Amino acid sequence: MSAFLQAAIRVGREGACPAIAPYLTAGDGGFERSLAVMHAIEKAGAVCLELGLPFSDPLADGPILQAAAQRSLAGGMTPVRTLELIRAYREEGGLMAVLLFSYINPLFVGLGGLGASAERLAEAGGDGFVVPDLPPELAQELQEPCAELGLGTVFFATPRSSPARIRAAAEASTGFLYCVGRTGVTGQRTCFDAEVLGWLDQVRALAGSTPLAVGFGVAEPADISALAGHTDLAISGSALVQLLHRTGGSPQDGAQAAHDFVAALCRAQPK
Amino acid sequence: MSSFQLPTHFGRFGGCYAPETLMPALLELEAAFIESQGDPGFTSELARLARDFGGRPTPLFHAQRLSKEWGVDLWLKREDLLHTGAHKLNNAMGQALLARRMGKKRILAETGAGQHGVASATVCALLGLECVVYMGEVDIERQRPNVERMRLLGARVESVSSGQRTLKDAVNEALRAWVSDPDAHYLLGSALGPHPFPTIVAAFHSVIGEEAKRQFQEQSGVELPDLALACVGGGSNAIGLFRAFLPHQQVALMGVEAGGRGSQPGEHAARWLGGREGVLHGCRTLVLSDEHGQIQGTHSISAGLDYPAVGPEHADLFDQGRARYEVAGDAEALAGFQALGRFEGILPALESSHALGWLMTHQGDWQGKRVVLGLSGRGDKDLVTVLPLLGDEA
Repeated sequence: MSAFLQAAIRVGREGACPAIAPYLTAGDGGFERSLAVMHAIEKAGAVCLELGLPFSDPLADGPILQAAAQRSLAGGMTPVRTLELIRAYREEGGLMAVLLFSYINPLFVGLGGLGASAERLAEAGGDGFVVPDLPPELAQELQEPCAELGLGTVFFATPRSSPARIRAAAEASTGFLYCVGRTGVTGQRTCFDAEVLGWLDQVRALAGSTPLAVGFGVAEPADISALAGHTDLAISGSALVQLLHRTGGSPQDGAQAAHDFVAALCRAQPK
Repeated sequence: MSSFQLPTHFGRFGGCYAPETLMPALLELEAAFIESQGDPGFTSELARLARDFGGRPTPLFHAQRLSKEWGVDLWLKREDLLHTGAHKLNNAMGQALLARRMGKKRILAETGAGQHGVASATVCALLGLECVVYMGEVDIERQRPNVERMRLLGARVESVSSGQRTLKDAVNEALRAWVSDPDAHYLLGSALGPHPFPTIVAAFHSVIGEEAKRQFQEQSGVELPDLALACVGGGSNAIGLFRAFLPHQQVALMGVEAGGRGSQPGEHAARWLGGREGVLHGCRTLVLSDEHGQIQGTHSISAGLDYPAVGPEHADLFDQGRARYEVAGDAEALAGFQALGRFEGILPALESSHALGWLMTHQGDWQGKRVVLGLSGRGDKDLVTVLPLLGDEA
C-alpha cells in the first residue's frame, strides 16, 4: 500500500468520525476545474479521492453520475487525460491518496490492459484502483501488477453478499473494503439506521484487519456522525458531483463549493 | 469463496464482470439452473409448455422455389411459427419457470425489437408474474406494434432515454433495476451478459438445432447439411441452431451480423468487422468501442441486431475457427425480406432477413449445397420500417 493510502487510513482509524474520501468524475466541468476541486477538498480535510474515469455505460451508477460521465466525455475527457489529471495534482504537491475508479473496459481498451493500466497509474502518481465490475474471482490480472507496484485494489461488500464472499473480498482488498450499505445504484440516499450499522459491524468482524470504507448514499454531516465507529472512511460521490454541476461557474467557484461541502462533512461529530 | 460451479468462460471470453451488488443474484440463478437441470419435473414442465403453449416442434420447411431461384438447397427452421412469432419464447419460458422456482414475483426484461419483450410479457401472463420491460425510446418508436402487444399482455413498458436509447441502454437500465430489486428475476433475452446468462440462454435455445438436425435427416434423407446459417445480434438464435451441429466439423457455421448502411463507426453493428476485445454488460467479448474504451453507437435497420457486443460463445467459436461471421447491410436485408415473401409466402423478421440477404448475395459460393437457415422471427412487426423504405416496390 502506498504511503498516501496508509496515511489516509490512519486518519480514519484514529479519528472519532470516519475520514472523508470524496468521489469526483474526472473532467466534469473541465480538466482545470477538476484539478482545482482536488486541491480544495484536500484543504477541506479529505484524505482520499476516488477519481471517476468517465465511461459511456456505467452499470452501477444512477442518473447523477451517468450524466456527469456524459458531460465529461462530451468535453473530451479520456483515460489518458484522467491519468494526466492525477499527475498534475501530484506535481502541484497534492497529498490525498488517489484511487482510480474505473469500469473495466476503459482500462482494458483505453489504457492497454489491466497490467498496463497499473503501470501507468503508478507512474502518474495514483495509489490504487476501484473497478466496480471486476469481482475478486476475476481480478488476478489486476492484483498481481498492483501488488508489485504497491498499488491498492479495492473490492466490494453488500448486504446480500454471503459471509464467505465478504471475507474473500476483504482478503483480496489492499487499502480498504468498499461497503455498500444497501441494494441499488449510486445517488440514492441510504438510511444509516441500526440495521445498516449492525451489518457494518458484522462486515468488520469478517474483514479482520482490512480497513472499511462506506459509500453509496453518504451525502451530509449527519451520515458521517451516524457512521462514527462503524467504518474508517466515508465516500461521498453523487451529492458532491451534483453540487458541483449545479454551482457551475469558474474552477474557483467549483473549488469553493467543494471545499465547503467537504469541510462540513469533516466537521461532523459522533452522534 | 462462494463462487460459481459451472464453467464461466468460453475460451478467454465470457466471465462475470459484474458489480458485487449483482453477484448474489447471479450465484442464486446459477444454483437454481443447475438444480432445475437435474429435476425431471422441471424439464417435463418446460417440454409440456414448449409443445402445448409454444407450438414446438417448429417445422423445418424446404424452401423449394427459393432453392431453385438461388441454386442453393434451402431449408428454413421456422422459429417464426413459434408462439409470439420468434425464437425468444424458448428462453423466456425456461427462465420464467426458473424464476418461479426461485420464488420471484417479478420479471424484468430488456428488449430491442420487442420480440423478447413480447415473449417475456407472454410467459409472465401465463405464469401470473409481474412483468416490466425496458425498451429504448428509439426502439419504442420503430417497433410500435410490439409495444402495444406487451401492454395488452399486462406488462409495463419502461421507456429508456439514456445513451443511444436502443437495446444497449435498455440492458443497462434493466441491470440497474435488478440491482435494486432482489424480489425480481432479470430475464435477459440473449446469449450474452454476465455468467450464467450465456450458458442458460444457449441451453434453452438449443432445442432449435436439436430439432432442425433431426428434421433435416428425416426429411432430406441426408445425414447433415453443409451449412447452418443464422443472423447474430447478441446471438441467441444462432447459438441455439449451432449447438447441435458443433460436433460435426463438416457442417459449416455462419453467423450474419448487421452491416447497417456503412463501415464508419455508428453506421453498423458489425462486431467482427469493427470491434475490439473488451467488456460490456458483464462479459468479455468483441465490443464496438473507440480507442478509449467508450462504447460506440450502432445502426441497423433491424432493432434486434442493433447491439454493440456479441455473445461470448460466438467470439470463442470464431477464435477457434469453428464458426465464421460475415455482414449483410440494410439493403441486403431488405432484399432478403422481399425474396422470402415473394418466393415462399413468408414475411421474415428483419433480423432473420440478414441471413437471407447474405445467402442471396453469396449464393454463388453455395451452389448445390444444403443450407439450414434459422428463420428466427416473423416480419409483421417490421412493416412500419420496411414499407416507407420500399415505397412503390412494396
